Amino acid sequence: MKNSIVALAAAAAFASSVGLARADNVITLGASVQLTGSSANTGRYYRDAYGLTIAKINEAGGIKVGGKTYKLALKILDNQSDVNLSVRQYVQLITSDKVNFLLGPFASNFALSDSSIAEKYQIPMVQGGGASTQIYTRHYKYIFGTLPAADDYYASTIEMFGKLQPKPETVALVAADDSFDVSVAKGTRERLKAAHMKIAVDATYREGNSDFSSILTQIKAANVDAILWSGHETEALNFIRQMKSLNVNPKDYYGFTVGVPTEDFRKALGKDANYAFGMTSWLPSATLKDRWFGDALGFAKAYKAKFGYDPDYHAASGAADVETFAVALEKAGSLNPKAVRDAIAKINFSSLYALHTKYGENGQIILPQIVVQIQDGKLVPIYSDQFLNKPQYPVPPWNKRG
Amino acid sequence: MMGRWPLVLAVLVAIVLAGVPWFGNDVAVQFGINALLLATLAQSWNILGGFTGYVSFGNSVFYGLGTYGTAVAMTHFNLPFGVGLVVGAVVAMLCAALVGIPILRLRGPYFAIATLGLNGAMAAIVSNLPIAGSNIGLVLPLMRGDAIFYELALALLVVCTLTVLWISSSRYGMALVAIREDEDAAGSMGVNATLYKVTALVLSALFTAIAGGIHAYWSTFVDPASAFDTTLNVRMVIMCVFGGPGTVFGPVVGSFILSAVYEVLASEISTAAVLFFGLVIVLAVVFTPKGLTDLMAGARRSGWRYLFRNIRENRL
Repeated sequence: MKNSIVALAAAAAFASSVGLARADNVITLGASVQLTGSSANTGRYYRDAYGLTIAKINEAGGIKVGGKTYKLALKILDNQSDVNLSVRQYVQLITSDKVNFLLGPFASNFALSDSSIAEKYQIPMVQGGGASTQIYTRHYKYIFGTLPAADDYYASTIEMFGKLQPKPETVALVAADDSFDVSVAKGTRERLKAAHMKIAVDATYREGNSDFSSILTQIKAANVDAILWSGHETEALNFIRQMKSLNVNPKDYYGFTVGVPTEDFRKALGKDANYAFGMTSWLPSATLKDRWFGDALGFAKAYKAKFGYDPDYHAASGAADVETFAVALEKAGSLNPKAVRDAIAKINFSSLYALHTKYGENGQIILPQIVVQIQDGKLVPIYSDQFLNKPQYPVPPWNKRG
Repeated sequence: MMGRWPLVLAVLVAIVLAGVPWFGNDVAVQFGINALLLATLAQSWNILGGFTGYVSFGNSVFYGLGTYGTAVAMTHFNLPFGVGLVVGAVVAMLCAALVGIPILRLRGPYFAIATLGLNGAMAAIVSNLPIAGSNIGLVLPLMRGDAIFYELALALLVVCTLTVLWISSSRYGMALVAIREDEDAAGSMGVNATLYKVTALVLSALFTAIAGGIHAYWSTFVDPASAFDTTLNVRMVIMCVFGGPGTVFGPVVGSFILSAVYEVLASEISTAAVLFFGLVIVLAVVFTPKGLTDLMAGARRSGWRYLFRNIRENRL
């Protein structure tokens, strides 16, 4: 008897909580994210960032849309790192779960397929997991993204070159052959040409490669001013180690797309990590003011406190996606997908992720990469659209280091 | 020999399935497209794997060529979808013939090993072809109308199954089975084994490639990783063997059941879905190693003891 009363009470509580979730003062954001499978390690950033940001917005009283106050809710499904399943889950989120708006999955190939669903059903999707420019070249109206374009990764670096003394003139470009790095190399080539710099070596290597000696020999022979490198972290580690052992010294500069901002990178290389330049789209700094978290530092602290690990740019990008909806909904003053879509297209606000969170004509955010450098074992931001700190430049040759 | 009732039942099921876009919801249509395409893949794998017993791990190459043939024709040459499908199918069949003639002379595990390498090789080639978008992949135009994709997938499965039905009752099919049972004996009876095996592979490639082409246009994006996916090939084998290799309806029933099990597991207990899916496969292999079709016949003969007799017979 007692048991059945408890069960009844539980059932009632459950029913009321379900009732609450479906009440008409709730706006539901739906997402299908990699919670298991091969991409789960990065997928968790999105799940956690979405959840944390929505909780924070609700804590602050929710959002006002057309004079009425709404709470936000999250409906998240696990696509098991399976693209076909994620497509199906987005259809399910729209048609049977009746979510109001869509947040994105992780990775470009997922975003490419899933954005077609958003477009088919004309429900706005803001995604922070796909950087490929292909997502935005299809003239879709309902897809927005908070990762900057791969083509532009070296844009801020090359802009910075123009302000450095001595200015690098000849460049070696080294890139892996996967889709992301091919895009980086393509964009970098165009920008180098526009800046009237000479590409003395243009090398592509197979993804996962560990022997760079032949590429490095070419670079040494060409005696270049700068090396611009694009690939993955383990390859970057090998590249630097072999640079040292073959004594390859570009006159001024060497920079990497990945690795440099991570702690593992500095640990693995020790002193040899010094002087390496890199880039990141996000650093948890107090200059990024945010309506809900105070600033990016506040976000990083709240995130670490709740989940026990540090957020990176994936997490910040995911949080910005949720905030984009919150701000756009208030601007639009309605839940109509078309009205919200138009509001997102015109948005421009300061968030924990970007000083100017706004979307280009094609729907992709315009966000300069922050150039960073390792100086005496510490990561120092150098340049975004102006110098943030003094670079140690030009980089000294290996045999002249203390 | 098959009785009449499975045929009648199959026709009824096909008619009901054809109506799904009208009375089912959008999620059912999405699930249906995937399940029908997978069933087609299992059924086309059955043509070679089921009838001749040659286990191919290279069928995902034909799938990949089908997707890329369609995608390249549509994006670079602005050809209509139908022409794209034909291009993909022709490329895949040429590849099957070219590859089949040398490697179908290998037998048993040696053939399986040879086909294993095909997929990686083709993925590497495609990812270095600028016309195929290299490693970046190709984006196809968006078409609203999932019902059309659904009906196309269903039609393809029906045609593929009819082909297998014809094979199962023709002289051609008997030659294939003879090769499976004893290739040397078949040869001495005047069966040109190489010719039969290569045509079976080419037929298999035809249907696999068209399924790939439909998937490409429907998902609007292809890249080497998704087009030349080895796990897809493993799924074809599992689904076909689970249902009953060398039978007409076994692979279809097998893939429908496994797709449904996978879907239920994925939506109900998503974190442990893969684990439970693995468990289902293990149980199936232990209790019904000859597939569901054999289970149906065996259960009618000896009831539940059928399951345990399998364990005894296979000395598990």
